Amino acid sequence: MKPRTALLLLLPALAINLVAFLAPMANLASYAFHGVSPSGAILPGLSLGTWAALFDDSFYAELILTSVLTSLGVTALTLLLAYPLALFVHRAGPRTKNLLMVACLSPLLISAVVRTYGWLVILGDHGVIYSVMHALGVEHPPKMVFNQTGVIIGLVQILMPYMILSLLAGFGRLDPAFEEAAASLGAPPWTVLRRVVLPLSLPGILLGFLLVFVLTVSSFITPKLLGGGRVFLLATEIYDQAIVTLNWPLAAALSLVTLAIFGVTLGLYGRLARAMEQA
Amino acid sequence: MIHRALIALLFAFLLAPVALVFPMSFSADRVIAWPPSAFSFRWYIALFNETALRQAALNSLLLALGVTLLSLAIALPAALAIARGGFRGRDSLMALLTAPLLLPTIVLGLALLIVFAGYGLIGSWLGLAFAHLLITLPYALRVLSTALATIPAAVEEAAASLGAAPGAVFRRVTLPLMTPGVIAAAAISFLVSFDEVVISLFVVGPKLTTLPVAMYRYVESRTDPLVAAVSALLVLFSLAIVLLLDRTVSLRKAIGK
Amino acid sequence: MPHLTLSALEKRYGAAAPAVASLNLKVAKGELLGLLGPSGCGKTTTLRMIGGLIPVTSGQIDVAGRDVTALPTHQRDMGIVFQNYALFPHMTVAENIAFGLEMRRTPRAEIKPRVQQALDLVRLPDLGHRKPRELSGGQQRRIALARALVIRPSILLLDEPLSNLDAKLREDMRTEIRDIQQRLGITTIFVTHDQVEALAMCDRIAVMRAGHLEQLGTPHEIYEQPATRFVADFVGRANQIAATRDADGTIRAGALVFRGPPGPPGQVTALIRPHRLGFAPAEGGNTAAGIITRVTYVGDLLACTVDCGGVSLTVEQPTLPGLPTPAVRDQVRISWRIEDTLVFPAE
Repeated sequence: MKPRTALLLLLPALAINLVAFLAPMANLASYAFHGVSPSGAILPGLSLGTWAALFDDSFYAELILTSVLTSLGVTALTLLLAYPLALFVHRAGPRTKNLLMVACLSPLLISAVVRTYGWLVILGDHGVIYSVMHALGVEHPPKMVFNQTGVIIGLVQILMPYMILSLLAGFGRLDPAFEEAAASLGAPPWTVLRRVVLPLSLPGILLGFLLVFVLTVSSFITPKLLGGGRVFLLATEIYDQAIVTLNWPLAAALSLVTLAIFGVTLGLYGRLARAMEQA
Repeated sequence: MIHRALIALLFAFLLAPVALVFPMSFSADRVIAWPPSAFSFRWYIALFNETALRQAALNSLLLALGVTLLSLAIALPAALAIARGGFRGRDSLMALLTAPLLLPTIVLGLALLIVFAGYGLIGSWLGLAFAHLLITLPYALRVLSTALATIPAAVEEAAASLGAAPGAVFRRVTLPLMTPGVIAAAAISFLVSFDEVVISLFVVGPKLTTLPVAMYRYVESRTDPLVAAVSALLVLFSLAIVLLLDRTVSLRKAIGK
Repeated sequence: MPHLTLSALEKRYGAAAPAVASLNLKVAKGELLGLLGPSGCGKTTTLRMIGGLIPVTSGQIDVAGRDVTALPTHQRDMGIVFQNYALFPHMTVAENIAFGLEMRRTPRAEIKPRVQQALDLVRLPDLGHRKPRELSGGQQRRIALARALVIRPSILLLDEPLSNLDAKLREDMRTEIRDIQQRLGITTIFVTHDQVEALAMCDRIAVMRAGHLEQLGTPHEIYEQPATRFVADFVGRANQIAATRDADGTIRAGALVFRGPPGPPGQVTALIRPHRLGFAPAEGGNTAAGIITRVTYVGDLLACTVDCGGVSLTVEQPTLPGLPTPAVRDQVRISWRIEDTLVFPAE
């Protein structure tokens, strides 16, 4: 293929990338570093006004901290619940395994709105949990939705398929012979898990942690609908600033903060992954 | 025994939210309540009269179809150039073209909102198409590149040695061999576009909205079983596409490949 | 006039040593030329340049007096049989064979009988309706050959056509390819790393090493009069002895002293083929006393390792009934003809 032909074939894809990705992202970044007139036009000259406002208000520091901590908690919980499931799927026979894989991953094909709505049915004021607890004699079942609890439960379930996928990829190098060898050397099942299975699946755990953490930080639909406007996270705040308050520079600055968190996470992941390879 | 029960419980946790919309969609109650006091088709009938949702569904369908065709038309040549171009920096180019998938959709949506607002693209078909192509193209490109990578170079060289010009090689050998990849790329592009909500939220307008956005707005303001009926239909729809995909691809495997 | 001429053909990738360096070759019409060498010697690169699959860095390729260097593959009219068959998996065997004819706009009425002829030629007349994946490796190989031959190419290029076949099938295919090539009188370039294959099939062999042509000659010349130590070592097996040569042609390796062809004195490597060494005395030849240290029986051959004054030599004898079988620690005298001693300057 001649270079000119190749360029011609690439041109439409590059054009879309430029128009819908590179230019808007560059523009977004510039919004965070410029003053903006009341009419919404960017003022010439660099300005750190938005950043000053952002650092002045302790609300934002708290927002960022809450976002990161919530995401870490959600990720840890997802790992805890997904690990036994993934291990079970990994050890199943080939036919059952396929079926279980489909069951684990099929939620990915369904809109986040639908899955979040499903949680409203379960956690809602007259939902499944409420009626079960009521039937068991609990007078005032705790409120499960439109608060932090609901958001965390929903996010854990919605992100579980990604964790399972990463863990299964990590289990790839887990030859059953290793476990058999450990058992033949006298290790009881729990020790086999702790000394053989867990260390070998560490790369998968790390990958899943990265993926789910990053997805939690940027998730919007679930915290918005299950939080009922009472849970404030980075993504929901970006949306509110952009659509409700129309403070685009602030929304842009918060977006850059989110990207920075992504960058730091990716960097940490790279270091850990490399360290693990050398170990 | 405890082990099995735990696994079953985890599976239930994973699948319950989707499974429960089916019984809920047949509820006869005015609000979400479990268990439903009686079952009926009232919310399916209500759905039939909900013109705004119906229009949004039609919009989403048209948009997804258009975006799918455009994705294939744009990603296929690009995948070919990257796989067979033989120029330097193909890995970096691939990274650039698939980069949008790495960034949070909320940031991409905001970036598009700011730019599109200035050009009157908010609430327009063109704006929505750009927004969806932004995320369907990387998927299509990846799937098609993988499909191309599995075709051994020698098969194309053999066709050339037998006298086939580059166009004929593509038509007679490359394209037929990558058909499963093209079908998969189309299905993924369609589903991604049809389900996309966060970016759409930023670029839809009062006159033009998509089904996921309309559902999101509905759930935000009201909690009745209407959305359960829509959800049930959507789940069946996704299932049908996946089954269709599975059939066509494995059918092709049975005849050819 | 040669049918195929390669003039100063060269292929470079970046600043590294050339993959093929200033290669000159002339191939006569109807000749089967083997490109032989270890992997990485440039033989496949040469074949791919001839076929137009990769561009040349410099030099020229002529076919029947016409410069084809700049022509793309699809205009070169060469039949190529690829190492891994490269049959089109989505077409039947008949469609595979018909492909080249369709590309040449052969009339439909003519395609069918020619496809059948090609199938008959490779002795698989009834497999036209099958898919390639339903065929065995040997059958796929033959269909690939039929597909390349049906277009009546000016040159046939075979890239390791017998690799991945089991030993028995290999020998059958060897004679079959040679038969078909002789019958059609088609000029053929044959790439292989297997010296037995090259010796058995080719009219002439070009031995390549690190991008250079090491020796060009008939199988007999390559085997009996290797031009370099590399050729002697790569083609056939040989005992290698590091030694010094005196001015009168006497060769000394420790306590082992023997005669070889005369040449400049100095450090040399002597090579002696194991089957040219024997236990029976040779008229006016070299002899050496030694002790057998190992005996290996491989059916048709008996290989004895003999320690001759610190130099270890392998002697190969055909196994004949009635011959005494040597045993370890036997004292023996081995002998060989002077002209069977190949001597090259030490590297």
